[in-house]
Amino acid sequence: MRSALKIYRVFEWIKLIGIWISGISLFGMMMFIVVDVVLRNVLSDSINGGFEFVQNYFMPLAVFPALAYVYSSGVLPRMDLVLDKFSVPIKRILIFIMVLLEIFILGLIVQFTWEYAVSGLEREMSFPAAGSLYPLYPLFFLIPLSFALIIVENLFILFRNIIERKPSFLFKEK
Amino acid sequence: GGDEKAGGESSDETITLRAATGLSAQHGWWSDTMVPWMEKVEELTDGQVQFETYTGGELVSVPDEGDAVLNGTVDIALVLPIYQPDQFPMAEVTMLPLAHSDTLIGSNAWKALLNSDVELKDGQTYQEMMFTDFKVFPVSTTQEYSISTTGKEFDSVSDVKGTSLRTPSRIHEVYSDNVGINSVTMPAVEMYDALSRGSFEGSYYSIADWSGYGFQDLFRYTLTGINFGHFNSFIGMSQQKWEDMPENVQEAMEQANEEVFKPGAEEWINRSEELIEQNKEDGGKFVEFSSLDQEVQEVFTTGIEDTWMNYANMLEEQGLPGNKLIKLWRDLIVEEGGDVPDGLKNIE
Amino acid sequence: MDNVTIIIIILAMVILLLLTGLYIHSVLFATGIIGLILLEGFSFLPGLLGNEPFDRVASYTLTTIPLFVLMAQFILQSGIVKDLFYIVHKVAKGKNSVLGILTISIGGLLGAVSGSGTATSASLGQVAIPELRKHRYSSRLAGAIAAAGGSLSGIIPPSIILILYGVATETPVGQLFIGALIPGVLVMIVFIAIMLIYYRMEQKETYEEADKDSLIQQSDKVTFIRLFVVSLAASIIVLIIFVGIYAGIFTPTEAGAVGAFVGFLAALCLGKVNFEFLKVSLVETLKLTGMVMLIMIGAQIFGRFVSLSMLPRQLIAMLDPIMGMPALVLIVISLVLFVMFMFIEGAAVILMSIPVLLPIITELQIDLLWFGVFVGVICTIGLITPPVGLSVYAVAGVSGIKSDAIFRVGMAFAIAALVIVCGTMIAFPEIATFLPDSMSQ
Ligand code: NA
Ligand code: NA
Repeated sequence: MRSALKIYRVFEWIKLIGIWISGISLFGMMMFIVVDVVLRNVLSDSINGGFEFVQNYFMPLAVFPALAYVYSSGVLPRMDLVLDKFSVPIKRILIFIMVLLEIFILGLIVQFTWEYAVSGLEREMSFPAAGSLYPLYPLFFLIPLSFALIIVENLFILFRNIIERKPSFLFKEK
Repeated sequence: GGDEKAGGESSDETITLRAATGLSAQHGWWSDTMVPWMEKVEELTDGQVQFETYTGGELVSVPDEGDAVLNGTVDIALVLPIYQPDQFPMAEVTMLPLAHSDTLIGSNAWKALLNSDVELKDGQTYQEMMFTDFKVFPVSTTQEYSISTTGKEFDSVSDVKGTSLRTPSRIHEVYSDNVGINSVTMPAVEMYDALSRGSFEGSYYSIADWSGYGFQDLFRYTLTGINFGHFNSFIGMSQQKWEDMPENVQEAMEQANEEVFKPGAEEWINRSEELIEQNKEDGGKFVEFSSLDQEVQEVFTTGIEDTWMNYANMLEEQGLPGNKLIKLWRDLIVEEGGDVPDGLKNIE
Repeated sequence: MDNVTIIIIILAMVILLLLTGLYIHSVLFATGIIGLILLEGFSFLPGLLGNEPFDRVASYTLTTIPLFVLMAQFILQSGIVKDLFYIVHKVAKGKNSVLGILTISIGGLLGAVSGSGTATSASLGQVAIPELRKHRYSSRLAGAIAAAGGSLSGIIPPSIILILYGVATETPVGQLFIGALIPGVLVMIVFIAIMLIYYRMEQKETYEEADKDSLIQQSDKVTFIRLFVVSLAASIIVLIIFVGIYAGIFTPTEAGAVGAFVGFLAALCLGKVNFEFLKVSLVETLKLTGMVMLIMIGAQIFGRFVSLSMLPRQLIAMLDPIMGMPALVLIVISLVLFVMFMFIEGAAVILMSIPVLLPIITELQIDLLWFGVFVGVICTIGLITPPVGLSVYAVAGVSGIKSDAIFRVGMAFAIAALVIVCGTMIAFPEIATFLPDSMSQ
């Protein structure tokens, strides 16, 4: 468990980088829209392509890099009413099945979104804004990447539940 | 679609095709072209072909219809190539502004362009260059786009400069830039709210499409007699799926397409007439372009000419036959009874 | 396997996986994907699902979710609302029930600037729940108050749901907004009434536990000047948002960004901005945003399954024998929609059901505008019903209160609003059509 914790610390660093990318994007998005509103009202001219940039660049950057951090923060909802009533061994088996199912489904999502990203790259998918085209495909790669990080988190959770006696949905309980 | 649905050789097996659009079921292209087309195909094949329909983005969203057809998510769909200028850079040609046209002229020219055998580059026609993976059934374009405002009028050149209009496509942004109109980009669903509260002054829009977002209540000044292009669409199928269809089905589909093409275009005209009537009753003004101040007319017209050249250059820079394309489009528009500014008549 | 068998298997799976405690978004992902495999086979999936996560997130309209939450965080971290609740408590002379009424009313007020019930619920959850808890509300009731108050944004204009409906049915959005005003306020009144009943019941049970000392201690800390500054700051924020939207300076969507920015400025003026302030505000906002987005992506995938299974159509086909009785059809439709909104995210329900419902509504000669408002009310209620109640999850996410507990109270709010407001709307359609009619003349 100790060496796992060490590796997990590196992984936590990666997640922190992710949430900072998202945090800066979120703050940037706020400022960008505010500047757009001010320009439109003062100069009656908005940032050309403003809404396209917000939706295609700022939103994905604000959401996806943070997902792995969000996942391990314990904020994601589930109905724990029934699970808590089971005995520890049964609870443990259930959590095992859940985590494996989670990994399987996330694996599929990674595969599908990766294929989409690769095809986007091949076609150099772009979006029109302000009279020209801006590349979109680099952002597609954020998605398989962020879901892959959640798989890594789940592998840690799986490992923890093998080693530790107390079953849990989180690698590190708060 | 599913594997059991391939028609193959036998011609009496029922073929169920999955048809989709990201547009609402009430959109004219769906309700007055696609639906009649499907009904006609069912009728002509005595029910051998059946359609399962998905509208309003419940299966495929705008502008993913083309991809969905090619990757087999659906069998057939209304494809809107202008929304993907990165994939179909030459589709925007129908959005180029004109001196004169109407829904029928625009529609016929679009159909002629899709069927054109003029070789644009490396011996390839327009359709081969842009839509080679698709079986294309041309459908009517929209009515011509107009400029409508919530009240702002264009009495002098200074009225035009700095007016803020929503631009629905890349061509309109180029055009706005050329005439000094400030472009506002915004999703269509946000527009009603922003317009009604005066966030900006108007939009390029086709009158027949107003009701989709309730703009008939907002627009009070519309410029007619000058045309800001036609939005296009086609019913698309993958080339492979098309080849799987039995011959009698292929014939039925072609015939049905012939039959629904014109009524589909006329629906836009009917819709716009009703809306113009209603808008006039509510105090809306429709101003003929030729009645505007001479200098104002010149600003708009010069903008049209510049936009054509900008578009051609943009395509040439991508290695596409921009110059040949705009000449072909000009000739088709003129052939069908439309008109372009004089400056464009002489380009060679 | 035929569609009906597949639908039954998948619905059973949904319930089973929910009960065993799988994350909600994972339940939707898993059952949606398995359902699609059963219906269409595996090869169909990549083309259908590969672009789903990106398309769902890359939306301008959805910027309201992170930005309104960010505004709430800025306001919360600068202590403005906490002090405001204290003032109200003081004015109400210790009548704690006023705080609940205040929270729901603020939800309605915020609804007039926000289009998204989820975002408003999260904001309310952050600022109101700690105060409600201090004033002897149980955690589940406090959570339900915040969720219900926030869900009002779904029906009180501007409303994303009404916009989607207007687009799908070509009904003027402005008229829908006006029509939704009275029913929206009615939903609010019902929520307040239910809240008061719950509150009374709880006070009888838990009177002994009240901890009056902490309340008094806390109140001593607030000075008069501080109160003045805080009231001023709060009024300015609200004023800027309202005036900004209604004077056309910015759109309701942009109001999210402007609101967050003004909240940030207020915190700056109150001297609260430092690294910790920014870190906490941003991270908390991102947690909630990530959660909502994951569920929305899951709901979208599940919605694709529902759509391809023809479930809505099969439900509607069963209505055929009762078409002669419009009121009965409407009651059935509202129950079906209620169930759909329970399981599926609101926008997805609108998009998948309107094509099926519209022909029936037209045949029954029901006013499209009225029906839009009606659907909006049911959708709003769906935000607080299990298992997919985004408002409740938003509140649970920010407050740490278990969603099951909130749902149990939320369900009472929901059923009361469904019976009373929808019933009133069927009996007296004028409450939705009267305002738009009189305005258009
Ligand atoms: Na609202
Ligand atoms: Na629900």
